[in-house]
Amino acid sequence: MDAVSQRVLDYLTEVEEAAEDVLTTKQQIVDLDTKRNRNREALNALKDEMSDSEKVKVCFGNMFIKLPKLKTREMIQKDQEQLDKEINDLRKGLKAKVNRLNEMQGKPALRGYNLSPLSSDEMKSINSLLNR
Amino acid sequence: VTTMATTKVPEVRDITRIERIGAHSHIRGLGLDDALEPRQVSQGMVGQLASRRAAGVILEMIKDGHIAGRAVLIAGQPGTGKTAIAMGIAQSLGPDTPFTALAGSEIFSLEMSKTEALSQSFRKAIGVRIKEETEIIEGEVVEIQIDRPATGTGAKVGKLTLKTTEMETIYDLGNKMIDSLSKEKVQAGDVITIDKATGKISKLGRSFTRARDYDAMGAQTQFVQCPEGELQKRKEVVHTVSLHEIDVINSRTQGFLALFSGDTGEIKSEVREQINAKVCEWREEGKAEIIPGVLFIDEVHMLDMECFSFLNRALESDLSPVLIMATNRGITRIRGTNYQSPHGIPIDLLDRLLIIATSPYTEKETKQILKIRCEEEDVELSEEAHTVLTRIGMETSLRYAIQLISTAGLVCRKRKGTEVQVEDIKRVYSLFLDEARSSQYMKEYQDSFLFNETQTAQMDTS
Repeated sequence: MDAVSQRVLDYLTEVEEAAEDVLTTKQQIVDLDTKRNRNREALNALKDEMSDSEKVKVCFGNMFIKLPKLKTREMIQKDQEQLDKEINDLRKGLKAKVNRLNEMQGKPALRGYNLSPLSSDEMKSINSLLNR
Repeated sequence: VTTMATTKVPEVRDITRIERIGAHSHIRGLGLDDALEPRQVSQGMVGQLASRRAAGVILEMIKDGHIAGRAVLIAGQPGTGKTAIAMGIAQSLGPDTPFTALAGSEIFSLEMSKTEALSQSFRKAIGVRIKEETEIIEGEVVEIQIDRPATGTGAKVGKLTLKTTEMETIYDLGNKMIDSLSKEKVQAGDVITIDKATGKISKLGRSFTRARDYDAMGAQTQFVQCPEGELQKRKEVVHTVSLHEIDVINSRTQGFLALFSGDTGEIKSEVREQINAKVCEWREEGKAEIIPGVLFIDEVHMLDMECFSFLNRALESDLSPVLIMATNRGITRIRGTNYQSPHGIPIDLLDRLLIIATSPYTEKETKQILKIRCEEEDVELSEEAHTVLTRIGMETSLRYAIQLISTAGLVCRKRKGTEVQVEDIKRVYSLFLDEARSSQYMKEYQDSFLFNETQTAQMDTS
């Protein structure tokens, strides 16, 4: 293979890899969110179905273990926090990855997305300006 | 001194990008290649290589956003493409950079002072980029189940099942959510978003998969795809607003009685200062980016001395756009004074300007421009007619030749021709006078016109 087609191939591989990276991150966020929602459902179920002293069956992998209710709730809540953090980190990383992909494809980078957001009060006053 | 007040009233309504009449509608950019070298014919631009290259350099500086408070003057004879170059800059900047165009005479109005009109245009040309971020839950409603207590009073409880293409989950509903859901008349099959911070529910439409649920449906029913990805999303929207728009909002909120008490459309300088302070604060906090845009003042010799000194001052402020001016005057009187100055602009302002000169088009370039205009106006021109028209363009003016295109096109269509021939050109040439022939006619027959006794050597435009 001559040098030119090799270079083209290299470039395309690189773009494909970057795109694949973006897609994986997106899928990962989806998976984590699924988990987060399941945890939330569990927390809701724990909230009002029985008294605090009872034990509940928790499924770990393919095994059910009986655990005290309070302990279970604590565990899930901790898990929830961890998930929130992970999703946040992934989202932050996703922006950089998308920008890298855009740059490789010669598209203009998304501008303004690395700003910190306005507070809701500030947004309210701007909204009247944006006709909404 | 300004006894002449034109009747044109600048509207307070925001006009960020004015498409001027078709005269320059064929301009799509400056026609430069990646190395900023001008191509002979590109993007509707013909010739003027040196000035286009100069404009390209300035364009790059504007795009970087690092220069602000610079001013550029495009000077040249009438019909040498000054406005075209400015339009080219505007087109190449893209929709993200604010570009405001106004004519020098536009600022003279009875509604507001000249400096106010100028301030407003300056602030229209500065964009502020801000980001809005909301956590939302977005999904298609699979099922809503609401249990009302048998007594009729007391707390209602319910469950809401939402799904995306990837997942499905159940939410427990409180009293408040149930109320807002029933107020929005949400039912299974709707695609909704719930704002996490405020709990506000908005209906996006009905899911396509439920399109056949009912035969009779309102015309306003919108069908949307079932959302993809995660249920709990983060929505980030970047808005670009101009400083002037923020000004207007903040001066309006002081009470809308102002609307009836002879509102002059002026914005108090305190309001502007407050806005400046706020925007600077946002910038420090990383909440906003300032995008210095471009303010284009055509026919800049129509401004008077006060305006020029205002410009001097305004250019020094750190929230200042790039100012591009165009004029076709040589050494002439500065409006509002008795002093003569090049381009009718005071020397101290001229000193701050980068000056780009345009030169008259050559015959070849004229021919090229006429060809582009023919395409733009959808008129077919035969080779001979094209040559004749170019000749006319060289001898009279380019604008006159361009005017003849559409009129000749009409004549041609009248005789059911498909291509404009030399005869059509001849016919419209005899029908419509160019400037030189009209003057000639005046000289011959002025005795029979009205008011012929007032003879001044030259028209006084100031």
